[in-house]
Amino acid sequence: MDATVASDNQWASRRKGGGQVAERTGMGAAASSGEFLDDAQLIMVSGVSTEIVVKGSGPPLLFLHGMDGVEGAAALIDLLARDFTVHAPSHPGFGGSALPRHFTTVDDLAYFHLDLLDQLGLEQVTVAGFSFGGWIAAEMLVKDSRRAAALVLGAPFGLPGAERRDRHVTDIFMLAPREVQARMQVTPLPAPADPASIPEAVLERGARNAEAVALFGWSPYLHSPKLRHRLHRIRVPTLVLWGEEDRIAPLGFGRGYAEAIAGAGFVAIPACGHRIPVDRPEAAADAIREFAPALQESAK
Amino acid sequence: MKVWQFSEQAYHPAFDVPGPMRVTLPSHHCDPAEAGVLLNRYLDEYILADELGYDLMVNEHHAAATCMSTSCMTTLAILARQTQSARLLALGIPIGNRANPIRVAEEIAMVDTLSGGRLEVGLVKGAAYEIFMSNRHPTRFMDRFWEAHDLIVALLENTGDNFAWEGEHFHYRVASLWPRCIQAPRPPIWMTASSAGSATRHAQLGYTCATFLSGAVARSVFAGYRKAYLEAHGVLPSDDRLAYLAVVSVANDRRTAFDRAEAMKAYFSTAARLDPQFRNPAGFNPVKDNVRMLRAGPNAVRPRTRDGNPLPSDPTIEQYIDAGLMFVGTPDDVFDQLKRFHAEVGGFGNLLMMGQAGTLGHAETVDNLTLFAREVKPRLAGLSAGAPDPDVRYEAFA
Repeated sequence: MDATVASDNQWASRRKGGGQVAERTGMGAAASSGEFLDDAQLIMVSGVSTEIVVKGSGPPLLFLHGMDGVEGAAALIDLLARDFTVHAPSHPGFGGSALPRHFTTVDDLAYFHLDLLDQLGLEQVTVAGFSFGGWIAAEMLVKDSRRAAALVLGAPFGLPGAERRDRHVTDIFMLAPREVQARMQVTPLPAPADPASIPEAVLERGARNAEAVALFGWSPYLHSPKLRHRLHRIRVPTLVLWGEEDRIAPLGFGRGYAEAIAGAGFVAIPACGHRIPVDRPEAAADAIREFAPALQESAK
Repeated sequence: MKVWQFSEQAYHPAFDVPGPMRVTLPSHHCDPAEAGVLLNRYLDEYILADELGYDLMVNEHHAAATCMSTSCMTTLAILARQTQSARLLALGIPIGNRANPIRVAEEIAMVDTLSGGRLEVGLVKGAAYEIFMSNRHPTRFMDRFWEAHDLIVALLENTGDNFAWEGEHFHYRVASLWPRCIQAPRPPIWMTASSAGSATRHAQLGYTCATFLSGAVARSVFAGYRKAYLEAHGVLPSDDRLAYLAVVSVANDRRTAFDRAEAMKAYFSTAARLDPQFRNPAGFNPVKDNVRMLRAGPNAVRPRTRDGNPLPSDPTIEQYIDAGLMFVGTPDDVFDQLKRFHAEVGGFGNLLMMGQAGTLGHAETVDNLTLFAREVKPRLAGLSAGAPDPDVRYEAFA
């Protein structure tokens, strides 16, 4: 890796207090994150101090996390690391990654992650994005798919979730934070912790994640009006995963998303909500393993 | 001391509807004929206040039963015609939410000309929940606010050629103000603050700084303003650069005053009826402030009584008086309470007086305004530390 390792990380929480959910911030991590983040490092990408977890061995996989941060996908990343070299950055504005002043749209994040692939010199990458990260992944591959071998979208946002008065995707900004958390996953939520008992660094990660979701997703609400008309530019094998019990972006929305990408496969995961990496990480990892062209070729 | 009559102009018949009073309350709970009667009544009270020697303040909210004034300048356009001598204060126009700053400047100039130069203009961030109606991005909202501010002020003060504006948030080929303001270089500008830090920039800009229902916190707001003003301008500001907003109920006997205060208390109980997700959308406040608020807990932001305890969720009138949010009683009582509060917070030159609030009816409001104007207001003149120089007040800020 030719990346520059930055020296400090003002936002990363190391070792202590990982996994506690800050009720008010809404976007808390459900998985145990403290140890997971021990593996995080800071690199400079296009001038942005970027937190990234790299683990496992095998063909490269770029993992793009959802609204609850990279630590929210810890269980799935760990499973994928058995077969892939997983590169899991925090998006600018999330977790321990800086947010440049000029970043205002998911386009900025898509170009940023394309720069990351260039910088890491990765080829034949399986790009896997979940939820908010799925939106970024789709935006990346309509711009440039040269370094990608395959695309996995887990309950991605990015397409319009409403048509005038008919709403299909839940407006999370209109719901109480606890209600949003309850809708995100079928896995029971941990009891809400007293914010005063949570380390400041953990609260700060949660608050930064929530702010970043609002920055990139407030309006137009978690979608890009242009994306649908650009999806034909995705020219790599694509698999769309969806939780059958997704109460944020429902299954029917997911089927429509998959149909908008030529040749995309679709796997509905039973007993799974919007947070696939939390609810059914094994099912998601199995589906990715079976699908990934990089693994099929190496198995031959 | 200038005293400004203020009413939120509530549609109080909806207060009996269970649940939130803002954002989500459906408008089928509003009988428009009754709304018209109430709005005309509140205007009558403003006109009476003008006759009684008050200055007038209006505000605006959206999607709320607690406030039917959805546009400061619409209300003030009426009062510009129907009042004679009162200063007319919009506090304020939520310019970060507004679509078009040039339209804001046009409305300011139009009301200033209509009123013969009696307009004063508050440019405010506005409450967090207003974001849900305007649908502006909560993140970097204040960048948008300050760009709108800069454009509005540039337009109001412009005496040269028209200009073009290419900013981050606003883009215009032609910025041109017709009519332009009577007051030169523009009507006085107000802003609101709830901490010493938030008053700093207002002081640097020389704007009047108001704090609402903040009790003892007003002391630090005013101190922060004075300190920053002195640093920026080399002199202390006159007291008329500082304003405090509170509920006032006065009557010839305490019993009547307290009964009226109970009706006015509905302002507090209904203003608080709002679902939690609308109180502080992510991005509206800086991350560090959100973390600090989380760790401090919900009591940290409540006003406090003199013993240092936070106000309970449904305070008594006595507790509201003790915290400096209400001034209630006979004219002597109210003067004594105001005098004490004025001294405790270090002085201010504007009392923004909710002379009508909550469910207080017309007759009681008329009596409240009349008695205060006759018995209390004249005595407040002696409270200000120094009489402000009127030439200084509206002087251009370079």
